Amino acid sequence: MENKNTDPKEVYTEYNEKFDKKLMIDHDYDGIKELDNPPPPWLMWLFYFTVIWSVWYLAWFHWFDMGRLQEADYAHELEEAAEKYKVTAMDEETINILTAEEDLNRGSEIYKKSCVACHGDAGQGGIGPNLKDADWIYGSEIKDVFGVIKNGTDKGMTSFKSLGDEDILKVSSYVLKKL
Amino acid sequence: MTQEKFYYDNKIVKLFAYATLFWGIVGMLVGLLAAAQIAFPSLNFGLSFTTFGRVRPLHTNAIIFAFTGNAIFTGAYYSMQRLLKTRMFSDTLSKVNFWGWQIIILLAAITLLSGITTSKEYAELEWPIDILIAIVWVSFGWNMIGTLIKRRVQHIYVAIWFFLASFVAVAVLHIGNSIEIPVSMFKSYTVYAGVQDAVVQWWYGHNAVAFFLTTPFLGIMYYFLPKAANRPVYSYRLSIVHFWSLIFIYMWAGPHHLLYQALPDWAQTLGVIFSIMLLAPSWGGMMNGLLTLRGAWDRVRDSAILKFFVVGVTAYGMSTFEGPMLSLKTVNALSHFTDWTIAHVHIGGMGWNGFMTFGMLYWLIPRLFNTKLHSEKAANMHFWIGTFGMLLYSVPLYWAAFTQTLMWKEFTDSGFLAYPDFLDTVTQIMPMYITRTLGGLFYFAGAVMMIPNIVKTVKSGHIINNEEAYAPPREKVAKKRIAGETPHRWIERKAVHFTVWVLIAIIIGGLVEIIPMITVKSNIPTIEAVKPYTPLELEGRDIYIREGCYTCHSQVVRPFRSETERYGEYSKQGEFVYDHPYQWGSKRTGPDLARSGYRGGTMFRPAIWHYEHFLNPQKTFEKSIMPAYPWFYENVLDRSDLKRKIEVMITLGVPYDGAEPDYNYVNENGEVDINKVEEAYKSQAEEIAKELQDMGKDITWDKEIIAMIAYLHKLGKDISLAKLAEKKANEPKNEVVENNNGEVSLDAGATIFSSNCAACHGQKGEGGMGPNLGDKFTIHGATNEAIKNVISNGAGIMPPYKKFTETELANLVAYTSSLIGTNPANGKDPEGDEIK
Repeated sequence: MENKNTDPKEVYTEYNEKFDKKLMIDHDYDGIKELDNPPPPWLMWLFYFTVIWSVWYLAWFHWFDMGRLQEADYAHELEEAAEKYKVTAMDEETINILTAEEDLNRGSEIYKKSCVACHGDAGQGGIGPNLKDADWIYGSEIKDVFGVIKNGTDKGMTSFKSLGDEDILKVSSYVLKKL
Repeated sequence: MTQEKFYYDNKIVKLFAYATLFWGIVGMLVGLLAAAQIAFPSLNFGLSFTTFGRVRPLHTNAIIFAFTGNAIFTGAYYSMQRLLKTRMFSDTLSKVNFWGWQIIILLAAITLLSGITTSKEYAELEWPIDILIAIVWVSFGWNMIGTLIKRRVQHIYVAIWFFLASFVAVAVLHIGNSIEIPVSMFKSYTVYAGVQDAVVQWWYGHNAVAFFLTTPFLGIMYYFLPKAANRPVYSYRLSIVHFWSLIFIYMWAGPHHLLYQALPDWAQTLGVIFSIMLLAPSWGGMMNGLLTLRGAWDRVRDSAILKFFVVGVTAYGMSTFEGPMLSLKTVNALSHFTDWTIAHVHIGGMGWNGFMTFGMLYWLIPRLFNTKLHSEKAANMHFWIGTFGMLLYSVPLYWAAFTQTLMWKEFTDSGFLAYPDFLDTVTQIMPMYITRTLGGLFYFAGAVMMIPNIVKTVKSGHIINNEEAYAPPREKVAKKRIAGETPHRWIERKAVHFTVWVLIAIIIGGLVEIIPMITVKSNIPTIEAVKPYTPLELEGRDIYIREGCYTCHSQVVRPFRSETERYGEYSKQGEFVYDHPYQWGSKRTGPDLARSGYRGGTMFRPAIWHYEHFLNPQKTFEKSIMPAYPWFYENVLDRSDLKRKIEVMITLGVPYDGAEPDYNYVNENGEVDINKVEEAYKSQAEEIAKELQDMGKDITWDKEIIAMIAYLHKLGKDISLAKLAEKKANEPKNEVVENNNGEVSLDAGATIFSSNCAACHGQKGEGGMGPNLGDKFTIHGATNEAIKNVISNGAGIMPPYKKFTETELANLVAYTSSLIGTNPANGKDPEGDEIK
């Protein structure tokens, strides 16, 4: 076991025979000796590689302007998304209320998750206004409800545009049809 | 050669070792509580002292400064005396170091749980404790340098290079990051604002990891590992190369904590490339440690100490590989704000710092007490349980992080967020949170097992407080380089020179990054719309800081579509110029809040929502893991420092001195006028309280919840209002305006009123949510100008209506004015002053 204090001189005997040349004679710190091995070459190459990579990185982005920095990258992402998803964006003015049972069921699911906290489980209101009665602050057309859910209002209604247009339409239809 | 007799001070080593064990257990226990609170929010107990936001900083501080801090001193005080063949320079300084440090820890525990915090991560302690830390730390350094000067050994060993660098760098970092102006005994504001504060904070935060958790432990490794293995250090040249490259490069890497955030691109790039270049120097330490074990590997099987060291050094290698990878922007985009970071630091903390400390103590205690370790078997058990615990802790967290970040970023086929509900992404990873708590429990159990083993070891032996030792005096050698001496060998025998070179190496990175951030204007482009905090919002902000909200909520939206869709516009540098300190945070256990005051945004919630939510988050969302804050509703906000806060903010350049007319809180002599401050506070608070009272809530304006709501409604508010105004300005001007030339139509006004104003003021202006407009009382004035102003700019809870054309506005003002004195039926009670 490793618990007795050993005299450092004894310890190195066996080792010295093998690595005699590498032991640095005048390096003795409280019995700790040091070997004159070079750093592992692969480690040094790794270091040189990271330095070269860093210079390349710096040059790529800041001298040659080849890469997209933060803002350009975001603009690019938006462009890509606009390209990819353009077919499905909905026009508020032309949408129609959904009546299919499965759409309304989906609307009900979303309602339970995102709307209940403020408008109550049956649309009776609470933090937000009553959705069951006939009074509509922002209008009772499907486009009005859709717009309110999507964009929020000045009075505190949160914008739920992150739900996505399709789901917003489903929940709007649910609110109008079922509550 | 004559041998001089001297005595090692073992007593101080023993004290530090005991403190390490004690604080280790405490720190881990607190960590366990914090982990359990995320899995089971009821463990927040509904008490301010025990909520996660206060417990988590206590855990990090206890582990970093109490556990590993005392471990560093244990290792340094033991090894330095022996490596330099002398007693420590001053017993008094040793005692100041020990007792001072324990007092700091005690004060830290009390203040952090009481909510006294600067909110700067790993530098949360308030200014009086900061000063104490500086004093104690300097006494440690002074003691070290004094010992170096009176050493009997010619050259200083690599372990001591690392201890020296740790002392110098931590002193610079701590002082640099803690420059703050006191408000009171328990509160201060940092001098740095927003982006600057973020850069300084992570220059500190990253290098606290470097020079508190890495370099001192490399010092410990370079002494205790060759000792325990009885093998020479593998490569002296590698020691030199990796020491200098490590300390130089580390200091530049801080900005990798701020990638994709509101930071200039050049600073982000420096953060990336210096992190990548840090890989090889870090691995230099690992390789020199592992290769030193050549010829001793057979003993690793039996020796618990060597096992701890091997896994410790390997964990170091793993985290220092992971660190640079996490600094690549593409990886960081996925990893940042998730539990990936938490897993990463626990590989480092549990593996490297924890295991190196355990290995050191198992080796050290028997030697201090001239005995054998009571049970090698128990130590081996500790090792295996600890290793298992570490894996059970980190693997689920990596899994959680991947899962959550992919959910955050997933879009549906039609291009919308697949998981718009943040909570869904939290609920999904709850099993992983529970498992990691179990992992923490195993790791903790291992550490607990250590205690009886150490106690029995101590009891079986006897300590010699002042251990006799002999060494020849140091030979006088020429100051200049001797023929055949390498330059490095030369400075190894010149301790003061060495220290100066270390200082030069560590200071460059910070200077290059911080100075331009403070002096070059273009780094933080001004945004006109951004206004200072009102006194109420400022107090709300201080509650946000007090409760440690930043431990779970970030306040910086990154420029990714997945974030701008979820939270809103991405954050810009200029938004944070009045933030002392910044509150970007580094983890999203809950959603980002940078846009919680963005009118018309996805993150805006009405006051009443916040009111219900803070009171009982689980009532709002059954599966929410946010703690409740019931004391916000009972506590009257302590405004006794408010005047001083405004004064300090003026000193820091916040335009409360009249430069922003709406935020002018000074009298004609330029002194802060407490009446103006109080008036601004009260009128804003009363509006929010009124809104809540109208919804049937029993709350008064002076409670903490009011300030908290005001603060959350400020975040992103200014730029959202500017956006709305800009939108209006861009709308085509109505041609009719000019033709109409001042003529107004009451009918047109009535139509506008009915569709825009009636919801709150009633169809006939009788009032409802808003005040009665048909009586002869007014809150904000009854002149056409005043009415127009209220409509355009809003007042109290009334939002601004900037969408009207000039004609529409004129018609509406005329109609509204015509309502005065009509006294409609069912009128609301009068508010404000009588109209004369």
